Amino acid sequence: MSTGAVHTSAVLPNGTVPPQEQGSDRAVVRAEVEDFLFAEAAALDEWRLDDWLTLFVPGAAMQVPTTDVTGLGPENAGYFVADDWDLVRARVKRLKSRKAHAENPHSRTNRLVSNVRLTERAGDQLRVSANFVVNRFRDGGEFTYVGRYDHLLQVQPDGLRFLLRRSVLTNESMNPGARLSFIL
Amino acid sequence: MTMIDSPGATAVDERLEVGNTLIAQDWEALTFKVHRSAYRENAVFNRERNEIWGHTWLYLGHETEIPEAGDFKTRTLGGRPLIFVRDRHGTVQAYLNACPHRGTILCREPEGRAKNFQCFYHAWTFKNSGELAALPDSDAYPQDSAFVESLSLRTVPRLGIHEGFVFVAFDEQVPDLLEHLGKAADVMSMTASIGPSGMTTVPGVQRYSVKGNWKLAVENAMDGYHFAPTHNTFVGYLRETGFAVNDDAQYAHDLGDGHGLAVLTGHNGRIGMIWEPRFGEREKIRTEAKRKELVARLGAERAAAVADSSKILFVFPNLLLFDLEALTIRQLEPVEPGVTDVRAWQLVERDEPDDVRALRLKTMASFVGPGGLATPDDIEAYEAVQRGVVATADLDPFGGFADTDLDWSDMSRGMADDLTGPRGRSIDEGVMRSFWRHWSRRVGELPGIGPDASRLGGVA
Repeated sequence: MSTGAVHTSAVLPNGTVPPQEQGSDRAVVRAEVEDFLFAEAAALDEWRLDDWLTLFVPGAAMQVPTTDVTGLGPENAGYFVADDWDLVRARVKRLKSRKAHAENPHSRTNRLVSNVRLTERAGDQLRVSANFVVNRFRDGGEFTYVGRYDHLLQVQPDGLRFLLRRSVLTNESMNPGARLSFIL
Repeated sequence: MTMIDSPGATAVDERLEVGNTLIAQDWEALTFKVHRSAYRENAVFNRERNEIWGHTWLYLGHETEIPEAGDFKTRTLGGRPLIFVRDRHGTVQAYLNACPHRGTILCREPEGRAKNFQCFYHAWTFKNSGELAALPDSDAYPQDSAFVESLSLRTVPRLGIHEGFVFVAFDEQVPDLLEHLGKAADVMSMTASIGPSGMTTVPGVQRYSVKGNWKLAVENAMDGYHFAPTHNTFVGYLRETGFAVNDDAQYAHDLGDGHGLAVLTGHNGRIGMIWEPRFGEREKIRTEAKRKELVARLGAERAAAVADSSKILFVFPNLLLFDLEALTIRQLEPVEPGVTDVRAWQLVERDEPDDVRALRLKTMASFVGPGGLATPDDIEAYEAVQRGVVATADLDPFGGFADTDLDWSDMSRGMADDLTGPRGRSIDEGVMRSFWRHWSRRVGELPGIGPDASRLGGVA
């Protein structure tokens, strides 16, 4: 991982550029990325959704392609989740409401994140892949979601933040009851 | 929409009749109840598989899913595995996905492009137009051409296409597709006319399964009454983005033969037709231009019918067409009484600008599908009903429709309107009732199921 990479501005999936001063070209090792992903998993499992939102660069996006993954982006294909920043925040607001019936009561989830790899670095942008298993329990049902993360992170002086949070399912379809009413 | 408001070809009294004892309809008291065994019992499910799924037109897929010769998808309908393929001559075909030799699943890929389908078991090979192409060691078989022809792939008995929507039937004797679709056909034509160059599906199919009876998915789609309480958080999101939401003067239509249409004027903008702030300023300008294009092409009256209202069309028994902010085709496949597989495709205008396509798909994903802000609550509702309707099972000591009876779901809301015509308020339950009446006539009497069984004292 080069630390002398030319600094290039982060470009958000929505085409805008986030505040420049946040980006950093400091070195990042895998342990830091693992800590970031593990902390994120804990925030989600504990339903600390406001804390979870602080892990994003404002303006960032979140995606979950359908299980027949076509290699196309959400601008050209049907997706399960294709949230811009407004929708990420709307999703959190919704999930905190007791009127989010699909998650009232909340699912119990337990996430395992593994096989973390730093695959690409350009300036303050870092592409990260990892495997996940999310075990979810609700209404006497057990659901297992298996897949990989394909995230784009921004390196900041004090840590990492999501520019694009992308969860790619390995499941062939959503099993009975296995709707994505929580954050995958 | 005047074509929908006019009285149907079906006589009123026939339209309002029920066909089995699982429906308790009382025109004096204006009550309508559905016996909950209809959602639970294997015997009901098996009868539906036979009488409905075995003997009527079923939605298979859209022509644009298989644009090129050799393109195929595998799909299951009524429990039967099928290959949906455009053959070497460009003709849309549907084959039973089983080798004529020993019944092996012939094509095990979900989709692809193939000139031939080869069974891995004994290497029998078939052209995508159905004829046997190769049979190893064929010397051991009779050499006459009739025998070889008898080994062709089995096509479904009937296949019909309306506006790109492909339907099949497992019964040769079904009426012609357009006759079956009736008034639903014109609603499909309206949706198909939105794009000046037509409509197409895009890749990325939402595949999910619900722990609920398929009829709950139909009820939910035709039920405007649930929208405000169930989708409180989504309505809140719409209001925050600057769009007014209301339920006034919205109607649902019994289109006959089990088909239904909910017309919604008060919520959801329509991309290219009714602008709302979350679509952005650039889309506002385009919406005005697009409306002019629609009027020029379709005439003012038809353009208004197409553009001014969101619509949810149900085509009996397995197709839902959501013509809302964007367009979604949803297909239902019952697996068990309490399990339904769902597939959903996004339908878009051909040749629309990239940014409009992106907006359309993002907007749809935000609402529908198992990861949207609204559909998960619908799924929660179907699943909660399925979990709840066992509570009253066999607690039906007197049979009939007396107040003491417990094992019934009430669908009486707005029933007086059923007598005045096929149109009622969308927040009433009229289309749900017309669906159930049609369902009950198709399924017929089920001795031993529901209230009859209780009357006999619930003997096992």
